[in-house]
Amino acid sequence: MTAATTAKPAKLPREEDPRNPHHRLAALLDEGSLELITEDDLSGMLSAIGTVGGTKVVAFCSDPTVMGGAMGHDGCKAVVAAYERAMLEQVPIIGLWHSGGARLAEGVLSLHAVGEIFHAMTKASGRIPQISVVLGPAAGGAAYGPALTDIVILGPEGRIFVTGPDVVRSVTGEDVDMLRLGGPEPHGRRSGVVHVLTESEAEAIGRARTLAQLLGNQGTLVLDQVEDIDLARSLPESVRRAYDVHPLVDDLLDDGDVVELHARWAPNITTTLGRLGGRTVGVIANNPLRLGGCLDSLSAEKASRFVRMCDAFGVPLVVVVDVPGYLPGVGQEWDGVVRRGAKLLHAFGEATVPRVTLVTRKSYGGAYIAMNSRSLGATRVLAWPGAVVAVMGAVAAVRILHRRRIAEVEPDIRPQVEAELAAEHEKIAGGVEKAVEIGVVDEIVEPAHSRRRIAESIAAELAYPPVRGQHGNIPL
Amino acid sequence: MAQETQIVAEMVANVWKIVAEEGQALTAGDTVVILESMKMEIPVLAEQDGTVTDVRVHEGDVVQEGDVLAVLS
Repeated sequence: MTAATTAKPAKLPREEDPRNPHHRLAALLDEGSLELITEDDLSGMLSAIGTVGGTKVVAFCSDPTVMGGAMGHDGCKAVVAAYERAMLEQVPIIGLWHSGGARLAEGVLSLHAVGEIFHAMTKASGRIPQISVVLGPAAGGAAYGPALTDIVILGPEGRIFVTGPDVVRSVTGEDVDMLRLGGPEPHGRRSGVVHVLTESEAEAIGRARTLAQLLGNQGTLVLDQVEDIDLARSLPESVRRAYDVHPLVDDLLDDGDVVELHARWAPNITTTLGRLGGRTVGVIANNPLRLGGCLDSLSAEKASRFVRMCDAFGVPLVVVVDVPGYLPGVGQEWDGVVRRGAKLLHAFGEATVPRVTLVTRKSYGGAYIAMNSRSLGATRVLAWPGAVVAVMGAVAAVRILHRRRIAEVEPDIRPQVEAELAAEHEKIAGGVEKAVEIGVVDEIVEPAHSRRRIAESIAAELAYPPVRGQHGNIPL
Repeated sequence: MAQETQIVAEMVANVWKIVAEEGQALTAGDTVVILESMKMEIPVLAEQDGTVTDVRVHEGDVVQEGDVLAVLS
């Protein structure tokens, strides 16, 4: 044995301690299914295999009852062993984290061991679903571990940071507590590190179980189970009015297991895992309620990562489009909207899973291309009657195209002239019929029949075994 | 004392319509003001229950990202 035991850490037994990794793994796995795959010792990590809702998974859990869950050589080996087993079995792996990071007493040996976990995670990336649940402080190596995985769930006591408040204070003088440094607010809303926020440890573990089943047991699309719902029922009458897209996404997906990822970060686009006709699908939807549904640098990055995750695991995509364009302005340009927006073009362009686009109201400009257009290889592009697919709004377009002519007429009749020119322009450039004619929209479908047409379009392209993108899921 | 919540503009926009009045009690999800940007009317909603103590903009104003539109307590 190594330095871990010579350091003579804490206290076994820990039967009564709620942070006991045994208890946490037992809460995660189906009753009676837990089988340890590493020794129950003082290593600071415990690994097991079992099932969640009947789906086989591998899991590992920090042991904060020993040196605050700090990770040394032996604990890291337990995680690497879990990864080897999960890769062998080709099943999802779930990590429960509550750890101060590397064991200081072991020096660079612990850094080396933590690095080996990162290597195992990276090699597994895109091959098996990796889910992290952060239940307590997760610092340093314990922060980057979850960050390398596909989905990070945060419990109410979860705190993620590179270095804790004490070090921050001593190094820079900045005074901050753990909550503000790495709690639900910063990571749920600002950094994008966390995908799912929860109100209790039980809910966090429950979400991990749901996600492991959605990704690990994707099911079969049964068209007979897909009932049509009028997907336009939650939309306002005026096409100018913004609305919340969540009810539409809920209508599109089966009742039951639905998990929205990154709900509060970049909320102008939504990314949701759920089922359609019993089969797992990923839904990406512009949300006009936030920033008018514009794409911007963060939402493009959020959506690209989701597309690549779904592609890697063979999850078909449904893309619900109502987008006025890319958000213009200095802030966006300086924030890298070109670089980050390119990620979305790349993600859709390389995706091999069935991916069906539904244009509900409008799709303009560069954002039109980015939202899984025909040109990027969409499986099928559907549009509602009256949808507009164009470079920009008709009035804005004629103001550029007919700048001189509009300037020549009297100001008081300008709006009327603009409207006439716009109507003419729409006929040749923007209407959905024109889009069908040139082949960028495959068919016009009524809102009340969209759900079934989407399912049929996916079903027609599903292969057995499912096609998967041959790439990892780098945390974009 | 009850906590104050500032309702801020997410993007550059015109204030198209002010819906909530000072003193009015709102529940989460109620519309406070409607902005106009990207040729769309974008409602700004209360994130939690509260009473409007201050409306800081007027219809027709241009607001920048981060500007306070109203205050709830």
